[in-house]
Amino acid sequence: MTIRELYQEIGGDYDQALRVLRVEKLIDKHIRRLTQSGVVDRLLAAGESMDAVRLFEAAHAAKGVCGNLGLSHLSEMASELAEEYRPGNPRRMTDEQVRRKLDEIAEAYRRAEAGIRRYEAL
Amino acid sequence: MIQSKLIKRPKLVLVVDDQEINRDALEVTLEEDYEIIQASNGLEAMEQIEKNADRLSVVLLDLMMPVMDGFEVLNRVNAEEHLRHIPVIVLTAEKNAELRALEMGAADFITKPFDVPEVIIARVARIIELSEGRQLISAAEHDRMTGLYSRNFFFEYAHRLFHYSPELHMDAIVMNIEQFHTINAVNGRDFGDEVIRTIGGEIRGFLLETEGIASHFEGDRFAMYCAPQTDYQALLDRIQSKVNGLSQNVSVHLRMGVKPWQDGVEPEFMFDCARAACNMVRGDYQNPLMIYDEDMRKRELLNQRLLNDLRSAVENRQLTVFYQPKYDIQCDPPRLGSAEALIRWNHPELGMISPGDFVPLFERNGQISIVDTFVWHETAAQIRRWEEKLGRRIPVSVNLSRADVFDPTLVDRLERIVRDNGLSFSDMKLEVTESAYTDKANDLLEVVHDLRQLGFEIEMDDFGSGYSSLNMLSAMPIDVLKMDMKFVRNIENNEKDLRLVKLILDIARNLKLRVVAEGVETEGQLKLLRDAGCDLVQGYYFSRPLPPEAFEALIEREMTIERG
Repeated sequence: MTIRELYQEIGGDYDQALRVLRVEKLIDKHIRRLTQSGVVDRLLAAGESMDAVRLFEAAHAAKGVCGNLGLSHLSEMASELAEEYRPGNPRRMTDEQVRRKLDEIAEAYRRAEAGIRRYEAL
Repeated sequence: MIQSKLIKRPKLVLVVDDQEINRDALEVTLEEDYEIIQASNGLEAMEQIEKNADRLSVVLLDLMMPVMDGFEVLNRVNAEEHLRHIPVIVLTAEKNAELRALEMGAADFITKPFDVPEVIIARVARIIELSEGRQLISAAEHDRMTGLYSRNFFFEYAHRLFHYSPELHMDAIVMNIEQFHTINAVNGRDFGDEVIRTIGGEIRGFLLETEGIASHFEGDRFAMYCAPQTDYQALLDRIQSKVNGLSQNVSVHLRMGVKPWQDGVEPEFMFDCARAACNMVRGDYQNPLMIYDEDMRKRELLNQRLLNDLRSAVENRQLTVFYQPKYDIQCDPPRLGSAEALIRWNHPELGMISPGDFVPLFERNGQISIVDTFVWHETAAQIRRWEEKLGRRIPVSVNLSRADVFDPTLVDRLERIVRDNGLSFSDMKLEVTESAYTDKANDLLEVVHDLRQLGFEIEMDDFGSGYSSLNMLSAMPIDVLKMDMKFVRNIENNEKDLRLVKLILDIARNLKLRVVAEGVETEGQLKLLRDAGCDLVQGYYFSRPLPPEAFEALIEREMTIERG
């Protein structure tokens, strides 16, 4: 499996990742690190406690990392949560809607995680 | 010519972000043009900034980070004078944060997630360019040693104040250090620099209390353009006192010239006047402050005219040499021994000009050599004429000024003048003033030595009028000591002055030097000097300076008396 095929499989935007990271080697390095870094796991963990500060910080970090990796769908969902919990912003979603958003993130992330594992195995 | 790219320093960029992917993304974007270093939080960033403060071209700073966030880094960078020049570009996705960061001194921002690398490259390049330009301007704007404005910027700002804020009435002040090159030579450049820094620091302090700007031009020259002060002596004393605190062993003397505000007068002219005032008190340690006024303006115009007219005065024989006799008082009656040649200028429009009005002026700008050379030629020819006509050779003293000493042809020229007139070297005595000694003493000693070897007699003029006379006495081989007239003036009614005169005569006797007392006006003075063992006197008691014909008559009278 090539890295481009991985991106196709997990619904990522390889060209966007290449625009940011310039060389495939760096995309390879950071896509492999995505799971180890725990950046999305921390967001999901924050969702379990529904702690607003942790949710904002974790969503903010996940938005940046996923955005740079061209994982646009994950990045956009993390961005919605970051705005939801940004200090000073009025809440627009109910807790239930937040949980559903977190479930969507978890599912997209699991799909990406599985793809990355297969990519690493080859 | 060296290509400009070789002069450019390598550019170092610090990327600060807690996410490694962000740091890598920026590094890979920028590494072609810059050397990149990374930090993963604010604390690490501050360590790198401190360590590389002189080399950092820009910091790319994430705002939300653990340990220490980007806002705190911005705070700390802006709080430190030595870090403030480093531009910071914040990395953020939030509009509110952008505004806050810009308000806190950030130079620009880059939005996250990073999208178009070319935009990042362009923004970083632009900020570095702006920052380097600002630093270059700042370096040119200020004098590095004092922090005061450099000359060009100072005059530009003075001009702006003059033109755009005419309601501000500003005085021009110029300040110099007496003999600064000697201070540097004797005490080392480090001490000289410390003096300059101290003066700069005190001026900066002064300008915190009043409206104004200041500059350290170069060397020992300072200028201030400031709101009129009621007491400039106090300002000078304040700065002088700071300088005095630098060393107990070294005396540093400041002088100051002030041109008070005058409606419509441009700063350049104001500073020309202030500088002229400052130059007027050069060497006057008792009165080191001069305020430029109308009299000074007239004086300046006159000076300029005299400087312009000197050459034509020589060519058109407006200069005349007068002669004042010196009498040997150890015989009875006193006998004409020799004379001193004194210059007079009969200007076709200004009339008779006192030597006090032009000799110091020409001494300052070096043109005194023209006057001295004229006097030497005239005097030698006159001694010759008197001998031919009266059969009596009267030795005459002429002046040797500081400017003459530095003329490498001096000894040859004097020798030729004496020989051309068929005189012996002892017929023309050379009076060296203290001003000739104050600088480059070794040059003077060498010249004096050569002249004495030829047979010239050297007289030390105005002994006791300055502070270095005793130094001169020990260092310079001389034959005659001329006691300054201020000692003689009060010897009849001031016991202390009389004791001082006796002391000088004692010193001279011990050094086997003859003494001429100048300014003798009364019989009482003459008697006291004779009793104290003085050899020769000069002064109005015997005769004022006389034109050649009148002096000739005096010689004839004296010869008649001598013949009995």
